[in-house]
Amino acid sequence: MKCDDSRIYLSAYLDDELDVAESIRVQKHLAECRECREAQDQQLALRSALRDPELHAHPSADFSKRLQASLRRAAKEEAQSRRPAWTDWLRVGSLRIGYLGWVPAAAALVIVTTVGALFVMNGMRSSHDQVIASAVLAGHIRSLQAGHLMDVPSSDRHTVKPWFQGKLDFSPPVPDLSEMGWTLIGGRLDYVDGRPVAALIYQRRMHNINVFVWPNHDSADSTIKEEDAQGYQILHWNGAEMTYWVVSDLNREELLDLARALRGH
Amino acid sequence: MTSQEKLGRFEEQISPHLKSAYNLARWLTRSHEDAEDVVQEAFLRAFSAFENLRGEDAKPWLLTIVRNTSLTWLKRNRNAGAQVSIDESPQDPSEPSPDPEEILLLSCDREQVRRALEQLPSDFREAVVLREMEGLSYKEISTTIGVPLGTVMSRLSRGRDWLRRILINPDTSLSPVKPEGGSGPK
Repeated sequence: MKCDDSRIYLSAYLDDELDVAESIRVQKHLAECRECREAQDQQLALRSALRDPELHAHPSADFSKRLQASLRRAAKEEAQSRRPAWTDWLRVGSLRIGYLGWVPAAAALVIVTTVGALFVMNGMRSSHDQVIASAVLAGHIRSLQAGHLMDVPSSDRHTVKPWFQGKLDFSPPVPDLSEMGWTLIGGRLDYVDGRPVAALIYQRRMHNINVFVWPNHDSADSTIKEEDAQGYQILHWNGAEMTYWVVSDLNREELLDLARALRGH
Repeated sequence: MTSQEKLGRFEEQISPHLKSAYNLARWLTRSHEDAEDVVQEAFLRAFSAFENLRGEDAKPWLLTIVRNTSLTWLKRNRNAGAQVSIDESPQDPSEPSPDPEEILLLSCDREQVRRALEQLPSDFREAVVLREMEGLSYKEISTTIGVPLGTVMSRLSRGRDWLRRILINPDTSLSPVKPEGGSGPK
């Protein structure tokens, strides 16, 4: 065996991944060649340097907790999606009561309406707001299931905006916020509060953000109201023309930035 | 299996490998923040595909998902220019002084090792991380990164040789590494 071959096999030899015949050939060569023995010493030193436990990256305790929470959420959503479609509208409430599994329908209905309304809202005082918040949260969660996110997948607002024409009796503003780090990935028609609304989907670092938009018939109040429901952030304000509801699992600060950017348009 | 039972088994079989998953994602993305996003997505994918795990070892199965999620994530979130990878002929750092009498000492300074590993082209980096930090066998690495056994062997050998040369001469600047071929026009 020559040095060049020995160098190729040395690493596998030290990993104990060579068959017996090859191992013996490497051993023989090492016994004869000082340079390759030095290479072996260096490889061994490199190995122990790489196995330094301090080089191993550790997730923070906080991250582990967040991960556990999102797994639990996924399990509950999965339990939900296995149920027949007529229970779909109970979805928001049953995020909380999912562990009950198959509760007789009548009992579930009572629990869901109570628990659902209680947990979603306490920052948004008006009961009408509470109903809408439940609906947009349900719309957001439904949109995360495979194939439900977008009707028109496009990062071009000149594609997304015209797509809504004919489907809605209003024209939603579709601002391009890419320079601020918000990628438009598409749009979808959704139903909230008994009416068709525009849902714009923006993305940042894998997090999807649903922006629900429809004409505002109340007085304008650009104060951003916020709510935190089971790991999701919900933001809401009434613009001069449109009312906005923003939902995502993105952290509060970044989502508020998006809300302010949208409000400025 | 109800969703709750599935969650229970998942937490029993998969969650113990969170550290390994995170470590791999951290070394592939080279950022703690990115690693969290990647692991979060990989775990949700693993959860929805959990029924497909039958009798295999959970750790390489999970690491395969983490690895694929990392690569997709990198493609989607980084300009191609920032991403380094290696084709089959990287520019190696030069072999130091040929003086046969001089005993070449390898620097084991932790920060130098960390820097060297971060700069190792990603195809080699993942093989080295899976082997040295996660203790996977060549066969498991071959399954995880989807290349033949011979390629695993050669990547490990060349990757380690690259590291070795850098660490013998830690003060020399690194040779430029070509940006990933897949990013430009073909």
